[in-house]
Amino acid sequence: MKKDMPYSVLQRERQFSGSDRVTLVALLLAAALPLLTSNILVQSVASQALIGFCGALAVHLMLRLGLLNFSVPGFMAVGGYAAAIAAEYGVQDLFALLGIAFSAPVVLAIPIGWIVLRLKGVYFVLVTYLLTEIVQLVIVETPSLTGGTNGLIGFPPTTFFGTELISGPAVYYTCYAAAIVALFVALWSTRSYGDIYDSQAHNETLAQSLGLDTARYKAQAFPVSAGVAGLGGFALVQLLITAHPLSFTAASSVNYIAYVLIGGAASLLGALLGTVVLVTAITQFSWSGEYSLGLFGLLLIFSVLFMRDGVVGVFTKIAHTIRGRNQLAYPATQGDPT
Amino acid sequence: MKKRETTKLFAPILGAILALGGSAVHACEVKVGVVGPFSGGAAQWGVAMKSGAELAAAEFNAAGGIPTDKGDCKIRLVEIDTQYSAQGAAAAANSLANEGVKVVLGPVGSPEVSGIKPVAARHRMLLMVNSYAKDAIGPKWPLAFHVSPGASGWALPIVRKAKERYGMKNVTIIAPNDQGGTDIAPVVAEAYTAEGIKTKEEYFQRGTADFTALVTRVLASKPDAIDLVSSPTVESGTLAKQLRVAGFRGPIGKLGGPGTEEIARIVGGYEALGDYYYFEPIVVDEEALKMRDAYKELTGKDSPEHTFFYLWGAASRLVFQAMKEAQSAQDSEAIAEKLRALDVKDPNIGEGLWIGQSFFGINQELSLPFGMGFVHNGQVEPLIKMPAAVDK
Amino acid sequence: MDTFLLALVIGAMFSAQYALIALGFTLVFGILGVVNFAHGSMYMLGGYVAYWSVSTLGLPYPIAVAIAVLFTGLLGALIEILLVHRIVEDHLSTLILTLGVSLVIVTGVSLIFGHEAPQFTFPIAGSIPLGPAYMPLDRLIVMIVSGVAILAVYLLIFRSAFGRAVRALSIDQSIARTYGMNPRVLFAVTMALSSGLAALAGALVTPILSLSPHAGESVLLTAFVVVILGGLGSIIGATWAAVITGMIQSFAGIYVGGSLGTLLLFVLVIAVLTVRPSGLFGAPARGA
Repeated sequence: MKKDMPYSVLQRERQFSGSDRVTLVALLLAAALPLLTSNILVQSVASQALIGFCGALAVHLMLRLGLLNFSVPGFMAVGGYAAAIAAEYGVQDLFALLGIAFSAPVVLAIPIGWIVLRLKGVYFVLVTYLLTEIVQLVIVETPSLTGGTNGLIGFPPTTFFGTELISGPAVYYTCYAAAIVALFVALWSTRSYGDIYDSQAHNETLAQSLGLDTARYKAQAFPVSAGVAGLGGFALVQLLITAHPLSFTAASSVNYIAYVLIGGAASLLGALLGTVVLVTAITQFSWSGEYSLGLFGLLLIFSVLFMRDGVVGVFTKIAHTIRGRNQLAYPATQGDPT
Repeated sequence: MKKRETTKLFAPILGAILALGGSAVHACEVKVGVVGPFSGGAAQWGVAMKSGAELAAAEFNAAGGIPTDKGDCKIRLVEIDTQYSAQGAAAAANSLANEGVKVVLGPVGSPEVSGIKPVAARHRMLLMVNSYAKDAIGPKWPLAFHVSPGASGWALPIVRKAKERYGMKNVTIIAPNDQGGTDIAPVVAEAYTAEGIKTKEEYFQRGTADFTALVTRVLASKPDAIDLVSSPTVESGTLAKQLRVAGFRGPIGKLGGPGTEEIARIVGGYEALGDYYYFEPIVVDEEALKMRDAYKELTGKDSPEHTFFYLWGAASRLVFQAMKEAQSAQDSEAIAEKLRALDVKDPNIGEGLWIGQSFFGINQELSLPFGMGFVHNGQVEPLIKMPAAVDK
Repeated sequence: MDTFLLALVIGAMFSAQYALIALGFTLVFGILGVVNFAHGSMYMLGGYVAYWSVSTLGLPYPIAVAIAVLFTGLLGALIEILLVHRIVEDHLSTLILTLGVSLVIVTGVSLIFGHEAPQFTFPIAGSIPLGPAYMPLDRLIVMIVSGVAILAVYLLIFRSAFGRAVRALSIDQSIARTYGMNPRVLFAVTMALSSGLAALAGALVTPILSLSPHAGESVLLTAFVVVILGGLGSIIGATWAAVITGMIQSFAGIYVGGSLGTLLLFVLVIAVLTVRPSGLFGAPARGA
């Protein structure tokens, strides 16, 4: 397939970039977390961060194409519910459930993508928002399948080679499994198509004029993003031991977008850092009762105004200042290329 | 002369010794979690619950605290905002488990309760929850207690009294199509049907702000009465307002969450509200109002006016009493055992009992005397105090 | 037949409300390219300022509405100048920024006024019979104001120097600048106009429905749907979309009930966009 691609002046190196390597290593190291600390709060925040990371990756994969995707909670719901329903029918193996949680959204995303991907810019944004709302309505209107407004509670636990995953650390590892699979999928997806993606984000007309089949890459990215979201949904349902419609509201789509933006939209590392920072911040703010939403709002405002390239951008600037370089080596910038 | 001078010296020294000794005795703390929505749309419920817990804690601390093997320990409340979501509640439970908290008051909403139960069960935490869900408590969660009966407990007595007064032959029930609505509306409908009143159920999309279309639809079938059950306060107020504007003169009922004052404000006053009958979880009479004074005295702040303040004050008192009798804030099973066996008698609210066996399969629902209210000709009639709901 | 007429009348009422709300949203959308997540909170703020003027300052209702519009308009301008303008080209960041602003506004209002709905009712009651149907006077006033506002904004954008300048800026900032147009001022005024319109809607509609710190949430979604269906930046489009949306909500709500109306509307929007990817009357969206 790579031989067919025309040479593009916008191509860059195709190996893992430095930041991708850091992301992979960081996530691999996170496997050791339950061994390093038995602090339940840390484990809980970390589990939530792993789930959020899946959502952030899903957002990031589309954002690289310049498309802002609000459908992440909708596909998370599809993945989470599919796994819960499968468990009720006796499918409990972790790998099987991960497969189901990934494939169900992908299968749905292909026809949906065909309709939705013709849309550009803000139209795409809104329709993906509506998709999430539609998923909510469908869940509510099909109580016999989805438990309706009460959700599905008490489905059989996931098993790993026969052992039931119900202890605190076991649940952490379930979330971890979802996140690591999601990261590998994201790495594969962006490694093979990363440079193509970024060229589209920069200038679609130019990319098309060079013979890049932009529609094809969008059509590939959308299902992959949906599948990654599904993995996150699976993890969330495992954490709560419930598949509940209110876990997947359209309003929560903003959270995943915020994770990507605050961390740095240009890289996978940004998605990871943004998730960790914001999930920790939200947990911290929840101790402030009535001020918590306002504090989160202030954090968003501050980050957007003063951390234009996200947390990753801040670190990069510091690193370059130390090294004495003047220019940023990052090729991609965030935001809409008008 | 000399004696008085000696006494003058003696007193402050004695006082200092007593104070030091006293503080040494009260040096330890036991933590109790308070979990609920303290921000966002449901904040008034969460804040009212929090204040009820604060009252009970202050009362118990003033009386010496909880006796444990470390001595008499003061209750310290650890408050966490769930933002009315299942995830927030699950996260809160994990945070509390991390702090070694084993007793939790709250949450207040169905989604939160769904979120917290499995996590709390895993950490063997005792929960006192509020929720309209049909499965709020049950044999699956032996450590979960329900703070107040749902419609299964009080709907029938209220419907009877409403029928006596208004003689309605049919009623339309309006509820939101989320868990809060779909779990209560059918239970209330059963109560009306049991009294020979024909019922119709209409559900609206959560987030609807303008009910004109729904109102038109509902009034087309000419109901004698309309019951808003557990529709949230703002939606109920708008519905009531639009029903009256559309010309509906029959009684409007609310066999669901409290909030009569707010509803009346939205409608534009009690006169505009017309005939209205409702369920109040607690009758706030003179005795109950003393809790407000006690709160002011002990904390220096004004308590919220929301009924949940009184309800949760009473429930928290019982939980702390159970902790006192079990002499622990950690042994959740022992505390649960004591709690189940406690006589439900609140000095301000009255006598009640534990129910729940027939509806939930576990007898852990706190049933206290509740109230039924009527509004007529712009006047709020004194609440009728109904005896605590019993199992059927 | 009676019900049908009633459904038409109610649909017209809904449409007028939606149009007023969507107008400001599509202005900011079309001219600044900003998805203003704070639009709903401006609506809510308009309601609260009007309420405060009536209840605390004791002013007559029409004056209270005017104050609400002016105050919120000014606030919108300030937000644009101080916050949005720094990053106005970055459509993703402005989305998050305005979201942050709306969270701060909602929290602020809850802290000042409390979470519960205050008593705030429309000063004029009664209705006009329309055959078997009826039109409440308060809704009639909203419809008239809405119509006037749409006309005024249309004239402003398409028949005035200001409108020309602002449209030029939205098409190509660098060229427009060489002609001496100042985006700082013009964008701020646009934002002020948009916030003022939202506040107008809020001050008029919340007394008819209800006022609370979260009154703006459903408003935002409605604005989104109407503006996208009608087409980015198109005032005509927003108006038509408001009519379609209002009629669907009315008929589905009366004849079927439940969530069907909402579901139908969403499916319709997606269907329309499949055929016309820029909405009914919209210009192609900028960006990829």
